[in-house]
Amino acid sequence: MEESVASEGLEFKWGKKKGVGGKKKDVQFYESFTYDGDEYRLYDCVLVGNASEPDSTEPFIGMIIKIWEHANKHIPKKVKLLWFFKPSEIAPYLEGVPNVLANEVFLASGEGLGLANTNQLEAIGGKCSVLCISKDKRNPQPSDEKFNSADFVFCRAFDVGSCKVVDTIDDKIAGVDVKFIFNRACSEKEATAVQNIEADVNGKSDSLKPNGPLARGASGSVRKIEDSAFESSDCKENSNGCKEEKEKGHYQLAIKKSTLAEERSNKDSGSRGNHYNGKDQESEVKKQLTKQKSMPGEERYSNSFEASGSRTIHSISKKAQENDVKKQLTKQKSMPTGERYSQESSGLDDRPLKKQKLDGSVTVRDGWDTTILQNITSDGKKDTGSFKRPRDKVTIEEVPPEKRSFVKNRDLVVSVSEGKTTKTVTEKGISKKPSFGRAEDKMSADDNERNYQVTEVCRRPDAGKSKWFRSLPWEESMREAEKKGTLVLLQNLDPTYTSDEVEDIVYSALNQQCEARMIERTSVTIPHIGEALVIFKTREVAERVIRRLDEGCLLLSSGRPLVASFAKITPPGKPSLFSGHIKLHKTQTRREMRDAVATSHSSQPNNLEFDMAMEWCLHQARHEQASESVSKRQLEEMKSLRINFKLKLP
Amino acid sequence: MATPEEAAYDKFLERVRRTVYIDELTPLATTPVIESAFNQFGTVKKVSFIPNFLGPKELPMSVLVEMETEDMAQAVISTVSQLPFMVAGMPRPVRASAAEPNMFVDRPKKPGRTIRFRWIEPNDPDFDKARRMKRLARKHTAENSFMLKKQLEEAEKLSKQQSETAVTHHKKFEMMDKLLYDGVAQKLADRYSMKCFPYR
Repeated sequence: MEESVASEGLEFKWGKKKGVGGKKKDVQFYESFTYDGDEYRLYDCVLVGNASEPDSTEPFIGMIIKIWEHANKHIPKKVKLLWFFKPSEIAPYLEGVPNVLANEVFLASGEGLGLANTNQLEAIGGKCSVLCISKDKRNPQPSDEKFNSADFVFCRAFDVGSCKVVDTIDDKIAGVDVKFIFNRACSEKEATAVQNIEADVNGKSDSLKPNGPLARGASGSVRKIEDSAFESSDCKENSNGCKEEKEKGHYQLAIKKSTLAEERSNKDSGSRGNHYNGKDQESEVKKQLTKQKSMPGEERYSNSFEASGSRTIHSISKKAQENDVKKQLTKQKSMPTGERYSQESSGLDDRPLKKQKLDGSVTVRDGWDTTILQNITSDGKKDTGSFKRPRDKVTIEEVPPEKRSFVKNRDLVVSVSEGKTTKTVTEKGISKKPSFGRAEDKMSADDNERNYQVTEVCRRPDAGKSKWFRSLPWEESMREAEKKGTLVLLQNLDPTYTSDEVEDIVYSALNQQCEARMIERTSVTIPHIGEALVIFKTREVAERVIRRLDEGCLLLSSGRPLVASFAKITPPGKPSLFSGHIKLHKTQTRREMRDAVATSHSSQPNNLEFDMAMEWCLHQARHEQASESVSKRQLEEMKSLRINFKLKLP
Repeated sequence: MATPEEAAYDKFLERVRRTVYIDELTPLATTPVIESAFNQFGTVKKVSFIPNFLGPKELPMSVLVEMETEDMAQAVISTVSQLPFMVAGMPRPVRASAAEPNMFVDRPKKPGRTIRFRWIEPNDPDFDKARRMKRLARKHTAENSFMLKKQLEEAEKLSKQQSETAVTHHKKFEMMDKLLYDGVAQKLADRYSMKCFPYR
């Protein structure tokens, strides 16, 4: 039933009626309306402008919980809005609240001022999407896609009575059953599609009622929308029933394995009409799968491997058995050698089988500590013995032969049987690389903890420069080194390395003694690239090192090749002026002011200085934002390259 | 299982938790200045400056302030984040955040990690990718330094603008003061039979 009411200005139409109320039964409640081309339903989230700051770009967010108008048309149409608080609105109460996301808002709950307000309908400035990401079991968990596309998210509430952030959401907020506050079981598009179908099924005309949010547990419950004299719709209950089944199917799906899941999702999408976003489900499936995979993964490999964290199922890019599965040896060190191999080899056998079941590519998560294991697929069926050696390779002598074999392995793709026999030959092959003067040429297979750090022990003590201390000695020697041309900048390290580790790396890989210092992380350094300054003995050595690192690629276990160059240090000395600190003339400042400058203080909001400070804060915040987005992008770029990299690291 | 390495690392982590990373500090600030500044929040145990070797010269200084307890560190961070806190100069406020392990040069090694490496030969198909990665790393550094430069320029601009405003404000207030002092304001008030506040 619709009524069209022509209001001045923006176009307006009522939607479904909900009931009547009020003392004289002259108040008509509604469930939806169309305003200015947008359709608003009960429990939709809307933006409302700030009356005191008409130009502000920060509107308030509210959820419509009641819509009504009076029979007397002169009384304007009203909506009651349950508020969401932005973090900026409750900043002082956010102390100690962890993990506030950028677009997180807080649901108002409890009793008191600020919970909900009645506004004129025309005050609504637009729609927005607020996704509930609470882990509450009553809340249908959103997919990653929804998460990324939602305008706002919320998982916590803010109690307006006690002015505290609470993590649990009560059963009823502002008289509204919390089920409506939680996510609807599927997106709106789906909802309409489903409802269309259901409506057909039920032989009723299409109603635009939102599909009642489905809590998985509450299958049979009747949703009551509390309001006086409300007629609950039969259609709604029915639709709930049908929906539930579909929902259950949907969720069961998510738990199944990938191929099956994909099939089903296709089926289901078909059945749900084309509105359903198959991707949605895939991402759900994906999520469930990753959980699943990591579990059997662990059992299977009996904690020598951990299945890679996130596998994306791309039905399109079926590089299937993509060979860059990186496994993390979680407890590599503690593993006694013999056991490890047997476990690993058995794991290997299982692995290919499992892999074949998987559709789509298995992408690898970037791991800092990666083991050599790759190409389990191809080699799984093959001589697992041949894997033993690669697996624990650590020394560089072994690396080259292994590497070559891996190279070939890497090229293998889908079929498991595609092993190359030459592999085994090269494994035992001679090391092409010039030996770095290490005693053992080939580590025995039983040696578990290979790491080149073993060689660290024999570092020659240098005259007085064995340890790092941050004070003058380093700085002096650094500047000296720069003058002499022996200062080298190493980049693309893992930022968590320490100076000692860098020195060890240089020693083991390049067989050079050096002194290194990691550059500390500050707000201006790139978070995912570590840098270190290294001083070598002579300029020739430095040059040689740089050339070597440029021509070849030294790959570290973090999956990154080292980048080296001559370092340029900022000249010593501090700038005389610090931009941002205003120095007025002595005559201009009075004694109090000079004192104030000399002491450090927080500024109060009632003076000029505060305004200026705010400008600086804005400047800082802007820069932080920019850095963040840049580093996110850079990280993605690096990751994408790393995935292709198919790193095999011993 | 707490090997001595892990114990040392845990101790280090605990120290990290107690430390605050202060940014946007004037390079002219010295240790006593910082100590007195943050002693208002609690006891400062150690102040260590993070040297700026590679960045541009005008970069604001950063410092690690180690407090006595974790609570004090939290208090510093929250207060500085809410109200602009100025150290040794106005009006540019400092920025505080929790310290991270990577910020300490003298950090102990992360226990349980072994670094491995291998050389990639030019005939290795991965060589190309490694090359690209290296280029990418260089590109990122370049991007970063460019962004930094831009930010410094903006800071310069802002500070110039602010100092101009400050000077103008000052002049304005001085002028007002003078008028009142000279009695000019009083005379004008009498002329127009308006009220005038007496000087001081």
